[in-house]
Amino acid sequence: MSDVIVDAANVSRAFEMPAGAVVAVRDVTLSIAQGEHAAISGPSGCGKSTLLHMLGCVDTPSSGTLCFDGSDVSTLDDRARSRLRLRQIGFVFQRFYLLPMLSAAENVELPQAEAGAAKDVRRLRSIELLEYVGLEHRANHRPSQLSGGEMQRVAIARALANRPRLLLADEPTGELDQATSEQVAVLLDRVNADGTALVIVTHDPDLAGRARRVLTMKDGQIEQEVTR
Amino acid sequence: MNALACAWRSLVRQPARSGLGIIGVAAVGALLFDMLLLSEGLMISTRSMLDSMPFDIRVTSTDQMPGRGPDIADGPAAAAQIAALASVKAVTTLRREDAYLMRGDGTRAYGSVLGIGFGSGRPWTLVSGTDVVGDNEIVINEFAAQVTGTDIGASLTVRSNCADGATAPPAMEFRVTGIATFVFDALGEAGAGMTDTSLAEACGTPGAIPADFLMVQSTGDATSTAADIDALGLHLQASTNDEAMGQLQQREFTYFRQISTVLTTITISFALLLITVLLTVSVNQRLGEVAALRALGFSQGRVVLDVLWESVLIVGIGGILSLPLGALMAVWLDGILKRMPRIPADLHFFVFQPEAVWIHAALMAVTAFTAAIYPMVIVARLPIATTLRNEVVG
Amino acid sequence: MSLTTVSARVPARVPEGGHPGCCYNPRVAPMHTHRRRGRVAGSVVALSCVVILAGSVVPAQEAQPPSILIARQLAALEGIAVGDEVELTSGEPGSATRRFRVIGTYEPTPNPLQLGVASRGIRMHLTDLLALTRDAATPAGTEHVEGITIALQDPDSTRAFVNDVNARVVGAFALFPGQAAGAGDTFVVLERFHMAIATVTIIAATVFLLALTVMLVDERRATVGVLRLIGFPAHRILVQVLIEGVVLAGAGALFGLALAVASEGLINWFFQWRYDTALIFVHVTPTVALACVAIAVHLGAVATATASWALLRSGGLRLAKR
Repeated sequence: MSDVIVDAANVSRAFEMPAGAVVAVRDVTLSIAQGEHAAISGPSGCGKSTLLHMLGCVDTPSSGTLCFDGSDVSTLDDRARSRLRLRQIGFVFQRFYLLPMLSAAENVELPQAEAGAAKDVRRLRSIELLEYVGLEHRANHRPSQLSGGEMQRVAIARALANRPRLLLADEPTGELDQATSEQVAVLLDRVNADGTALVIVTHDPDLAGRARRVLTMKDGQIEQEVTR
Repeated sequence: MNALACAWRSLVRQPARSGLGIIGVAAVGALLFDMLLLSEGLMISTRSMLDSMPFDIRVTSTDQMPGRGPDIADGPAAAAQIAALASVKAVTTLRREDAYLMRGDGTRAYGSVLGIGFGSGRPWTLVSGTDVVGDNEIVINEFAAQVTGTDIGASLTVRSNCADGATAPPAMEFRVTGIATFVFDALGEAGAGMTDTSLAEACGTPGAIPADFLMVQSTGDATSTAADIDALGLHLQASTNDEAMGQLQQREFTYFRQISTVLTTITISFALLLITVLLTVSVNQRLGEVAALRALGFSQGRVVLDVLWESVLIVGIGGILSLPLGALMAVWLDGILKRMPRIPADLHFFVFQPEAVWIHAALMAVTAFTAAIYPMVIVARLPIATTLRNEVVG
Repeated sequence: MSLTTVSARVPARVPEGGHPGCCYNPRVAPMHTHRRRGRVAGSVVALSCVVILAGSVVPAQEAQPPSILIARQLAALEGIAVGDEVELTSGEPGSATRRFRVIGTYEPTPNPLQLGVASRGIRMHLTDLLALTRDAATPAGTEHVEGITIALQDPDSTRAFVNDVNARVVGAFALFPGQAAGAGDTFVVLERFHMAIATVTIIAATVFLLALTVMLVDERRATVGVLRLIGFPAHRILVQVLIEGVVLAGAGALFGLALAVASEGLINWFFQWRYDTALIFVHVTPTVALACVAIAVHLGAVATATASWALLRSGGLRLAKR
């Protein structure tokens, strides 16, 4: 297995609009390696979320090549891409998107169930992950009974449920206050430190500053790349 | 957690909406069930009544139903020729006329009087007393006995309203020999039976003994016996129970079959609309969640299945509730329709048949699936990235 | 002027030269159909109006035979055209036949309980009918009719007239117009049946409307929460949602009404074609239209108020929180 998890070569993404095509990502070349910690920042509408969606295989480039583990993603059908996301990629969203009718533990169990894990195995894993994010005492609480920070921590636990190699986070602290954002940032650092490659899209300079590699986008292109 | 469990949790998450959906489906499902019972109810009920009589062939003057067409001018003569056939076991002539049954004190009941002749067969079952054997004897139903306060052995005056009497019929006195139940007794209607000669006298035409129809019992094969009767050249129409049912289905029950078909279509359309709207709104409200699940790796089939299961649960629970509700409604609606004049007490418009449950279940299943198609398409075609982006911007 | 029917076996005294427009429906002794060249398929056809069509069209003769009207369906079934002459017979086969000339067709009074049954009725002068059905042994003037329809000068005296006839005329039963219709009760019952089904449908529609309103109000959760946080009083929001619900229900009812009116002709056309009848299956009357809109608007108001009230019981902060 190569060290590079996802490799985007000259990818562009254009959206057809009534007023004409809008190019959200323009000719971007980018690789994310095993264990890497990258942040993508930039002004609103610069294409950072679109790039993240392409890296996470939920969107396909209009042009260019995107390879995941060396395989061209464009050759995969929807089912194969779903399987890829389920087992290799974790997603954390700004709005958490926990299922409100399920408890925290059940939310974490859900992707494992979809991946076919046995009931007792996924239950143990859920408890383990909730302990990891410090919410074992909230396992049976519904999302509506959790604070924003807690919901995001549960969402991170859910994203890690199937032991992904790559975790993608789109504005993970966008709806959180500063103190809670700090808790989430620390947790994400820890996830990365434990070996999961992490790509974060954020407006927050503090969060971006924690990454070893910071990509700044403007008008759909990577304007600046800083590696520490 | 599988799709069914997720769908169940989704329903439980919004109890008001789901509850109303289920109640709505139960109401339309009950109506649908009733329409299925109505579509065949009259046929089954009539068939059962026909089969309960010890006759399997009716002979009439035309292809009209008994009592609808012209009379058979000389009932006993026609009966005698038919009785001579080897394939015929028994023949009885039957004439039906309207009449007042009156007591000396003025109490009276209006109803129908049957005049039977030739054979020993009777279109009634004796409950108490003895059967009529000669003139001026009469058996009456319990309603007539109750209304006129008459008991066995008492006298009863019959003033008939015969269709083809040339003069006003005389009022004739009869002795009540028994109480009987008549197969085609209507609710709240007096019924009586006597000999055909007695009825002819009561009609003021003692010389003529016409018959509405002849009731024939074959020795076994009703169809061949009916053919034998036709071959006699009496210019009469012999029809078996099957043929009579065919005629009824074609001519008499069309209205109820039609209303049943129309309402079945309407109720299914209504249920479809209800569930489709419910699911579509529900799905539209959680597009973000669905997109997130897709981003997390849930397959298209899996999220589509969630929606289908939701539909199946709403329609399934509503459908199950609709069966007892429909049964209660059927009793209510049957009671309403049975108030139509001249409807036999034993005739039912809504008759339970196991097939109706299966057809109901099949129609509900089709409804559940069809109603889910549009919301399933929404979910299946959901652009993950665009939805996630829109949800944040929105 | 009111019409009253006297049902009796009274000798017929009918002036000559009446018009076949008068309808007469007695039950009489058996009669059979003859075609001039052998019996028709089915051999015996019953007619609603005493006589039975005797044969195929016969060549016109010089003497003008009496005129008759035949049911439109009968004309189509037997291929009879206006101007044709037909022979009719009564009684047993071999009895005398009479020639009649078809001067027109008529549309039988539709009966929902006879759907699918092609009318084989004939209308003729009562004198012709009596002449046709009279037994050879019966002298003219002793025939009976089943009923006499009477138009009173004073409609208010109907009851007195009916009572008077019933008291004075032995063997005759005077009936009120509704009773004379015969099937009156049947239609009353059918109307009740339709009303019962309509009630169930309205209940289902109410549930449907309530479910929609719950969803409509639920969609506004966040907006309502924000309005409450801004300081809008609950009743102000309730009125706003209520107006919206009523407008929605009213618009829906009007749309449904427009749909019903638009489809009225189509439905009638289809079923009239399907069952070959002039029966009107759907008729949107102003009363029905008003009732429909009134019920929908009231239900809309009740459903919206119920759903909104449940929502407004929650605090603004709770509602605004997603």
